[in-house]
Amino acid sequence: MKVSLPALFWAFLQVGLVAFGGGGSAQLYQALVRRRGWMKEREFLEATALCRILPGPVFANMAVHLGTRLGGVVGGVLALLGVLTPGALLMLFLSLAYLRLGALPGSLAESALSGVTAAAIGLILATLFHQAPLALGSLKAVGLALGVFVTYGLLHWPLLLVLLCFMPLGVMLYWPEAAEEDPWG
Amino acid sequence: MPELLQVFLTFLRFGLLSFGGGMANLPEMARVLIAHGWVTPQTFADGFALGQFVPGPNMLAVIFYGLSAAGLPGAIAALVGMFAPGALGAMGLVRGWQWMARARWSRAVRKALVPISVGLSGSMFLVLVQVGIDGVGWLLAMLLAAFLIYRGVPVAWVIAGGALLGLAVGLF
Repeated sequence: MKVSLPALFWAFLQVGLVAFGGGGSAQLYQALVRRRGWMKEREFLEATALCRILPGPVFANMAVHLGTRLGGVVGGVLALLGVLTPGALLMLFLSLAYLRLGALPGSLAESALSGVTAAAIGLILATLFHQAPLALGSLKAVGLALGVFVTYGLLHWPLLLVLLCFMPLGVMLYWPEAAEEDPWG
Repeated sequence: MPELLQVFLTFLRFGLLSFGGGMANLPEMARVLIAHGWVTPQTFADGFALGQFVPGPNMLAVIFYGLSAAGLPGAIAALVGMFAPGALGAMGLVRGWQWMARARWSRAVRKALVPISVGLSGSMFLVLVQVGIDGVGWLLAMLLAAFLIYRGVPVAWVIAGGALLGLAVGLF
């Protein structure tokens, strides 16, 4: 389905304005599938799974991918600008304020930011709690996750080396299962 | 100019390598940026926290890091370096997606990526606790935040609550 470029940009800009706390993919689903019916459920799920194999933020990649499907290359660029612009401008403003005015150790701003940091790290832990039971359902999954955690998190190997070791190993371990028909990944 | 080019290339490498979501390479980013002297461990953690205030993709913190390294051009260089590789790939996938969805290797890669990204998230959590949490009090606050979010309290509320708690601690 092709949609008009202004409508496309507006839809992605709206998502960019409200996608707080890493919920961007869910917002895209609401905006494109539920609210506007621009694509089918199945199409959206397949796109999500595919965008996970790309490097970079999954949400931004999905916006570009879906935008390109709805409006060609220009649509893809507009979709990325739409989801990035509100947050990027606000981030620039906050960063300038922080770096110019400074958050001196012991100042009120520094203290408030410590609270936000704690909450933000808590968000990662909560996400891990949600994902781990589903993602680590088999022995090989636990082994892969532990291997990555030990080499990257504890031993500080470079990320490229970690991926070069564990991606081929993972593909090998999942090769038999990947033969089954499973469009959702 | 060489500094700006270095900022761009550094973030381009992060952008190319950040499999399993943009935040997966946060531990490596912390090491590299601190080693370059572009941020201190404290400002790295603060930049990450600021990134949680703004809507949009996670990893808008790269604007902060780029700005801290080389001013406004640095911020733009960091943003483009981080987001361009995935964006170009996402456009390319539009042509190849039906074939890719069916290809056996892409299904194997997608299945393997699930546990690998859990390992990456665990590493990210560990590094953020090391650079961002000072003191047992904030560690407990972090655990409380995790519990609340896990139980379904909206993320924006918990983050705002963290800011208020921090203000209260600073005042008294």
